[in-house]
Amino acid sequence: MSTKQIIYLALIAVILVGLALFPFMTQDDSTFNLVILVFLYMTLASSWNILGGYTGQTNLGHAAFFGAGSLATRLLWVGGFPAVPSILAGGVIAVALALAIGIPAFKLKGVYFAIGTLALALILNITIGNVFPEMSYNPAISDYQIVPRYYLFLGLTVITIAAAYFLVNSRWGLGMMAVREGEEAAESLGISALRHKLLALAASAFFAGLAGSAFAYYHVSYYLNMPFGPEWTFDPMMMAYIGGTGTVIGPIIGSIFFVGLKQLLVWNVGEYHLIIFGVLFILIVLFLPGGLVEAWKKYQRWFTRWYQRRNTSPRNVIGTGHLP
Amino acid sequence: MGFLRVEGLNKAFGGLKAVNNLNFEVAEGEILGIIGPNGSGKTTTLNLVTGFLTPTSGKITFRGEDITGLPRYRISQKGIARTFQLCKPFLDFTALQNVMVGRAYGQDPSGNLKTAAVESAEILELVGMASKSNVLVSDLTVMERKRLELARALATRPVLLLLDEFMAGLNPKEADEACGLITRIRAGNVTIIMVEHIVKAVCCISNRVLVLNMGSKIAEGSPDDITHDPQVIEVYLGKSHAQH
Ligand SMILES: Nc1ncnc2c1ncn2[C@@H]1O[C@H](COP(=O)(O)OP(=O)(O)O)[C@@H](O)[C@H]1O
Ligand SMILES: [Mg+2]
Repeated sequence: MSTKQIIYLALIAVILVGLALFPFMTQDDSTFNLVILVFLYMTLASSWNILGGYTGQTNLGHAAFFGAGSLATRLLWVGGFPAVPSILAGGVIAVALALAIGIPAFKLKGVYFAIGTLALALILNITIGNVFPEMSYNPAISDYQIVPRYYLFLGLTVITIAAAYFLVNSRWGLGMMAVREGEEAAESLGISALRHKLLALAASAFFAGLAGSAFAYYHVSYYLNMPFGPEWTFDPMMMAYIGGTGTVIGPIIGSIFFVGLKQLLVWNVGEYHLIIFGVLFILIVLFLPGGLVEAWKKYQRWFTRWYQRRNTSPRNVIGTGHLP
Repeated sequence: MGFLRVEGLNKAFGGLKAVNNLNFEVAEGEILGIIGPNGSGKTTTLNLVTGFLTPTSGKITFRGEDITGLPRYRISQKGIARTFQLCKPFLDFTALQNVMVGRAYGQDPSGNLKTAAVESAEILELVGMASKSNVLVSDLTVMERKRLELARALATRPVLLLLDEFMAGLNPKEADEACGLITRIRAGNVTIIMVEHIVKAVCCISNRVLVLNMGSKIAEGSPDDITHDPQVIEVYLGKSHAQH
């Protein structure tokens, strides 16, 4: 192991221990809710990124998978099922739904997948709203405890990010990125683009579904179609872009940045924050397609060059060798 | 004979017959050149053999197995690799990562990415790109991109390699280097089909040359025969030259 790797591992361990001890440091419900929201977004943005960022397939209906997971869990759990199998069922249902739309849409190629997922989320949002028009109440409302929910979200976030990390650094991950970079070239080298897209989609939907399940277990009362709303697609997507798509760290940074900035703006400018976010998103897509991660790398490269020039070293810097 | 056999191959785009009743064979270990003017159906032929296009009719047999209409990634896994007329590198990857994709998939893929990286570095060395291993594709020159494309195709461990206008756009010195490189690959037991627009580019290293015009085969033979064939001269230089 290199020194750099040891430093990273130590940093991750410190952060994890800090987050695990967090409930012993605060009793404030609004603080818990805010941190849980960041965890939820990290899971949604990271899971969207597996397909959208690493495999290059634009999913405009991530909310469909989030919603499907939440609906399945809420119905089972409120219906008397134990919490753990109810939550797992949410992930499984989301994968089934994803494959049902993904297999035909990917076979057609082109924009069918983007349009298909967009339509799926829209239709489900309306349909579920009609089928379940009443507010759903948490059955455990009398002895509701936030701390177990906090740990559920923490665990889910860690598992999602770890799974994304190991997937994208595996052979399958290399294949997924090759498909993103050029489907024809990838297939000429022996890669089945369809299989790689479907694997990425299934992983992406599974964790989005679990996020929905955790949401169903966490939320006190909401309309069952609420998790199918377009904001559950487009906010996480924006976070992935702000942080940097196609990187593991990007969606994590993006989620923190997004929630932080949103809090600041809501306090200061109220509803206008939507416009500011829209403009920010467009600026990033146009001028910083790699997001904050890319900006940081550019700064590092610039700094290294500046530092070398200052020391009049003749050695040239070339690109970094590790996988993106 | 019978390593690769193409029988009655046809491909029509609407009313246009891009490939017209084409028959040819490739023997194991040879270098077959396919030449012809622009639009004569060379790339289409290559696309048909590698599964990038499905023939309107006809049959392609590889090592005794009918591969007509197989998905292109399955054909690659059977040991048929190709390069593209316009290079298609993975732009956001380094040179090494590009080659690793071929080594991790293709025929007889490496068990894990570490092995794939080691073996890919060796392939980069073979094509003279060892020093560019960690360079991003966007920082490579045209010649380097061509070498990379070749390395990536070789990484799938092909037994048959199809090159689409590999020599195009190279200066005489680079073309010489490329000929040396292809001869070396051939020596490693890889059968080669070279598609070229320029006659000279193939004739120095091909064992046999096939000439296409408007989708049909108009001549086939040794490089020497081909360059003296009146019909070939006519197609390339016009009628007046053929009469000299
Ligand atoms: N995908 C396609 N759709 C329609 N026409 C095509 C297509 N590909 C090639 N063609 C036509 O088929 C003919 C042969 O093209 P091609 O095989 O690319 O020629 P070459 O490689 O010999 O220059 C040309 O007339 C070309 O315009
Ligand atoms: Mg061509």
